[in-house]
Amino acid sequence: MANQLGFYVDMSRCTGCKACQVSCKTVNQLPLGVTWRRVVEVDGGEWIQDGEQYVPSNVFAYFVSAACMHCENPLCIQVCPAAAITKRDDGIVLIDQDKCIGCRYCEWACPYGAPQFDADRGVMSKCHFCYERIDGGEKPACVEGCTYRAIDFGPLDELRAKYGDFASPAPLPEASITSPSIVYSPTSHTLAEGSPMGEVMNREEL
Amino acid sequence: MNTQELALVFYTILVQMSVGAFVILGFVHLYAERKSDQKNADEMSDRALLAIGPVVVLGVLASLFHLGNPANAFRAVSNLGTSWLSREILFTLLFVGTGAVFAVLQWRKIGSFRLRQMIALAAAVLGVAVVYSMSSIYQLTSQPAWDSLATPINFFSTAFLLGALVLGVAFVINYSYLQGKKDRANIDIQSEMLRKVLQWIALSSIALLGLQLVVMPLFVSQLSAGNAAALESAGKLTSEYGWIFAVRLVLVALGAGVFGLFLYRNALLNNQRMMANYAFVAFALVLVAELLGRYLFYAMHVRIGI
Ligand code: SF4
Ligand code: SF4
Ligand code: SF4
Repeated sequence: MANQLGFYVDMSRCTGCKACQVSCKTVNQLPLGVTWRRVVEVDGGEWIQDGEQYVPSNVFAYFVSAACMHCENPLCIQVCPAAAITKRDDGIVLIDQDKCIGCRYCEWACPYGAPQFDADRGVMSKCHFCYERIDGGEKPACVEGCTYRAIDFGPLDELRAKYGDFASPAPLPEASITSPSIVYSPTSHTLAEGSPMGEVMNREEL
Repeated sequence: MNTQELALVFYTILVQMSVGAFVILGFVHLYAERKSDQKNADEMSDRALLAIGPVVVLGVLASLFHLGNPANAFRAVSNLGTSWLSREILFTLLFVGTGAVFAVLQWRKIGSFRLRQMIALAAAVLGVAVVYSMSSIYQLTSQPAWDSLATPINFFSTAFLLGALVLGVAFVINYSYLQGKKDRANIDIQSEMLRKVLQWIALSSIALLGLQLVVMPLFVSQLSAGNAAALESAGKLTSEYGWIFAVRLVLVALGAGVFGLFLYRNALLNNQRMMANYAFVAFALVLVAELLGRYLFYAMHVRIGI
């Protein structure tokens, strides 16, 4: 997809404040239990004994802000039996809730936990890249809401030309599974996908 | 596990059992027809055939509870090109439809024997396609606890294990019904066929139990060698849900193994009352074991990523 849109996250700017998450929830009026953009906290390192005291040894933390990746190989679309999920010309992946049967198959298939079940309505709900705002020339709510200007968006090839193509900080999965439309700028602490060195600290928030 | 996944426990077990029973019933009918004649073969199997109907309908009803938005259920076959769920639903509908047509023709003896046989064969093939597509739904890279050869093997073994044992029960009930009828002219041949078929059912249950006992440790070691999500699933299976896993193993070993052996022996010795009892007990134990096993299937899966 030539004009695929994507997100960009500068991890060195991200403080884990979750303003993007809140901004998204507010603008898109998400119901309880549905959080399109989530911020994962990954911690690691250890404390070692030095004489009488314990001192930190390579103790680190970093944050991964993630929503739907509007993938180039969207497994959600492949598995949806109702053909309720589609990809626009600009690569935005949308769920048509009027067609969704609420089978939650996309929830099983997507390794980013992007499709989430709206229990009140019995259908799936997912980041839609704020397409209405984009179509109207505005920025997505998370991009605009980020206090540290850590999130941006744009044509994926431009983002990659500017920032590289790193897409899989742990605990995100291997990029080869769905080819996500995302670029992360890692920090010196960021672990690559599959690394056992860090631990997700806020699982119940995701 | 959410309530929607609980609905899937019942749906998958009931439908797999029905498919297994339908396929095995075909073989039993072939055998009975060669052993005696068409009329006796029908006497033996027709009521069992009708009994599959309500089971499959119950299963399909349970599947509706799986949907958050059942009003849209008709859209579920919109993506046959890539979605195994669409394919599974289509095959289920075709299996139920073809099976129902066959049951009506067979019950009323409409159409030639050959024609009915062809329709039954088509339904059986569709049934196998149901179980195959059902297992393909779970071949997801994101779900290491499902994305394994163990899934299709388990689904098919459930189908034939429960299918065989539920038929055992059906044949036993049917036989005591035949015994109570006024016209008991053929009761001897029926009795002979019953004990032969029960022996086969017992032996196949023992064989399928053996298969399950081989696959289970292989599957657990496959998980233990996998990624973080696979390890977490292995942990759930062996510690968080360890006791359910243990109970399930004991029940299936008792039902298919121990009572399978009892059933075989008593059928061999033509000990009619005991073989009927053992057929019931074996089925009941294995049914509970398989329900627990399927519960674990949905309770233990962990998605990779976030
Ligand atoms: S792009 Fe819009 S919908 Fe998607 S996470 Fe950001 S604010 Fe939410
Ligand atoms: S992140 Fe998940 S839901 Fe979004 S496009 Fe990719 S596979 Fe689909
Ligand atoms: S829950 Fe809805 S969007 Fe997701 S796979 Fe099922 S029908 Fe498609």
